[in-house]
Amino acid sequence: MKETQITLNQTQKIRLQRALDTLHSLSSKSLSDASVTVADKIPVNLNDSSILKGHGTLDLDGELISTNCGIVERIDRLVYVRSTKSRYIPETGNVIVGRVVEVAQDRWKVDINAYHDGVLMLASVTSPDGIQRRRTEADELNMRNTFEEDDVISAEVRNVQNNYTAQLHARSEKYGKITHYTDFLQLDRGQLIVVPCYLVKKRKQHFHQLDEYGVLVILGCNGYVWVGELIEAKDGMELDISEQTHGGFTKSEEEEQHTTLLETRQNICRISNAVRVLSILGFNITLEVILEIFDLSRSLDVEIHDMLGGEFCVLVAEREAERRSQN
Amino acid sequence: DGQNIYRTVSFRGPCHDLIPCSSDNNLRSSVIKDGDETFSIGLNMPAKTVVFTNVRKFDGDKFRWLSSGEYIQMSGRAGRRGIDERGICILMVDEKIEPSTAKNMLKGNADSLNSAFHLSYNMLLNQIRCEDGHPENLLRNSFYQFQSDRAIPSLERQTKQLEEEKNSIIIEEEDSLKNYYSLIEQYRTLKKDVRDITFSAKYCLPFLQPGRLVCIELTRTAEDLPSFSLKDHVTWGVIINFQRVKSSAQGEGFFVFGQQFSNYLFISTDENFLVDEESKKPEDASYTIDVLTRCMVSKEGGAKRTTKIIPLKNRGEPLVVYSLSSIRIIISKDLLPPEARENTLKKVSEVLSRFSKEGVPLLDPEEDMKVQSSSYRKAVRRIEALESLFDKHEVAKSPLIEQKLQMLHKKQELAAKIKSIKKQMRSCTALAFKDELKARKRVLRRLGYISNDDVVELKGKVACEISSADELTLTELIFSGVFKDIKVEEMVALLSCLVWQEKLQEAQKPREELELLFAQLQEAARRVAKVQLDCKVEIDVENFASSFRPDIMEAVYAWAKGSKFYEIMEITQVFEGSLIRAIRRLEEVLQQLIQAARSIGESELESKFEEAVNKIKRDIVFAASLYL
Repeated sequence: MKETQITLNQTQKIRLQRALDTLHSLSSKSLSDASVTVADKIPVNLNDSSILKGHGTLDLDGELISTNCGIVERIDRLVYVRSTKSRYIPETGNVIVGRVVEVAQDRWKVDINAYHDGVLMLASVTSPDGIQRRRTEADELNMRNTFEEDDVISAEVRNVQNNYTAQLHARSEKYGKITHYTDFLQLDRGQLIVVPCYLVKKRKQHFHQLDEYGVLVILGCNGYVWVGELIEAKDGMELDISEQTHGGFTKSEEEEQHTTLLETRQNICRISNAVRVLSILGFNITLEVILEIFDLSRSLDVEIHDMLGGEFCVLVAEREAERRSQN
Repeated sequence: DGQNIYRTVSFRGPCHDLIPCSSDNNLRSSVIKDGDETFSIGLNMPAKTVVFTNVRKFDGDKFRWLSSGEYIQMSGRAGRRGIDERGICILMVDEKIEPSTAKNMLKGNADSLNSAFHLSYNMLLNQIRCEDGHPENLLRNSFYQFQSDRAIPSLERQTKQLEEEKNSIIIEEEDSLKNYYSLIEQYRTLKKDVRDITFSAKYCLPFLQPGRLVCIELTRTAEDLPSFSLKDHVTWGVIINFQRVKSSAQGEGFFVFGQQFSNYLFISTDENFLVDEESKKPEDASYTIDVLTRCMVSKEGGAKRTTKIIPLKNRGEPLVVYSLSSIRIIISKDLLPPEARENTLKKVSEVLSRFSKEGVPLLDPEEDMKVQSSSYRKAVRRIEALESLFDKHEVAKSPLIEQKLQMLHKKQELAAKIKSIKKQMRSCTALAFKDELKARKRVLRRLGYISNDDVVELKGKVACEISSADELTLTELIFSGVFKDIKVEEMVALLSCLVWQEKLQEAQKPREELELLFAQLQEAARRVAKVQLDCKVEIDVENFASSFRPDIMEAVYAWAKGSKFYEIMEITQVFEGSLIRAIRRLEEVLQQLIQAARSIGESELESKFEEAVNKIKRDIVFAASLYL
């Protein structure tokens, strides 16, 4: 809970504290018991030689010491420490959002809030004409037309190498959604929000298209959340011939002229602030909670910029405490 | 024959011999390489020409003609891609072959390819792991689904045909006829019930004396439709003897077994009872009765219906005894000579004619045989009720009732067939494996590999890495810490059980420590199989647990310790190729296990697996090629 980010007066502080206390009491006792910090001893039956010592543990002088701050997890004979606050550790299959930092010879280097930059190979991205083929030198020279530095992209971790470098790929339709100007999901009208990565849990779905608001929300497992405009996919048949002759990667002028509606922009901002509030309070970020906060702010007619103020945050905390104590 | 090739077919280029490895040293000096049909499967040795030296081959069982699929496969090797414009195939026909056989061989179809698609847990887990993974889509787009979809039009056509046929059968007064039909069916079942009770060994055993007349059912040939008259098609015979059947089935009732003995139904005239070793009560055992009656032997050895007397089924088929007569006739002791048999049967027909008016007196079940069960009485009353219903039924009087009933029966049969084909069609259109998919997901949830919202857990991530052995069992073994405190060689020996799929006849038992480890593996396998059974996956627990075999544990243990290959071949009797294949697969599994150990962060285990790989990856087993 980043209390320094919001200013609270005295009553608000008390209310917030009360809400957080309720939530603490509701959370499972066993979890808090299992939390350890660095150099804590992990209670384990040391005579049992078949104990598997996983991540975050160290066998020191016959005792099992934790090397992380986190929670001790036990699965059958495996004991490991799941760290709560760390950089993102990539895992195969995770959906992530990243920012391109470098365009190299046949790959892009992407910042994904992990210990190493992610690598997106040219071959791991759908070719502009959609045909499965080898990438030629012309493709390499045209890389910049797809992604440039500082572009925000979404991808999936294909595999993780030994030094925890993630190899990404963006091949499926979802990542390469057909828009009316290129084949890729251009994430350029919206906001990229950085939240602690442990607040975004691995779920079945990370892409959320909110049609009624015209907003696309991507909850990246690495803590980068994209809230942006939802571009309706145009039917491929309607593509102008002239556009096709430009070559797959170029953007047409239409894109420049397309302006986002005011309402969509407001929605984007509201949802982004909802995410920020959750991040400040340290609650898990899921689509349901985001939408709840969104509705709450609209029903109370809270101004968008007021959402980041102290009063709204306290309200959200109280609402959450109420909701959980009811369940 | 190698010399023959060289002389008759003069050319330059590799030559592939059809006969399994009849190496001819004289040939080797020339440019001809000889090989067997395994070369045709696709070793990287391009050839311009393919020569078949024989059109017959020995497939391990008999000498047979080459099949069209094999011919297509082997002759297709001819011609090097990019170098030859065309490939040449020479077929040396060294013996007389029918034109039709040759035509089939050369113009026939290739072997049909049938999908052997099956779901696996590894596949499922990897699908669930990706956000885009939809196992249902995978199933829908599989070749298996395609093949089963293709069968649908022909099934539809069949249904249509049968329905047309069914509708073309028009019977008057069909509804009342159906009623009558069902009454007849009930009547028959009740009569059968009564018979079962009456002729259980408990009641009728005292009456099975030699000489008693018995009424048995006439057999029907296949073309005859079942009869629908109220009268039974029966005839009479004479009991000679009866025996207790030493059967494994514990059934009540008895059978009459016939045996062809020229024209007479006869079994062994063994007068003694078979002594039953098991202490089965006499009432509960099954018995066979020797009955003398007339039958006719047709050319094929089966019996056919005669005009007058009894046709009988082929040997060993049970007949239905309808009733016992209260009459006993005196029969001679020895019935082997035909005259004796003829005499006996003459006596039978005399009895029949004497009682032709009233019918032969039967043993009354209640009075004579002292049947006293309540179910019997109930059945008898119902039969009487039915019989009265029959008389009152309007349709009973109509002419040609028998034929009408037969037509109705045919119609019912067609309807049943249509129903079964429709059921088959439904199972084809429904997604193949859909139920299995659901069941397997349940298993994964129950074992903790995926969470309830289908997010892969740590255990599932480990199982994702393993594809060369049974993933569930192996993951359970890892997480139970079995690999932690055993030596590397023992670990390798334990893993060998997971990659060895063959059944060795007399495998030696491994030493004690290995035996213990194997027991642990079987324990894990049983646990996994039980969960699968609970979740309704089709699996047999014991079969699954015994599919892991410890046959090569000793050999692999020795290999890991550093023995030479010929030394380990002395330990075990398996084929060399199988052993090498197993050890190579073992190395694959170890590589996957290294990845798995890394994903859970167990560095000790990871280094152990790496050490294991170093220990087994050496020498001839892992040599890339034996020739080069």
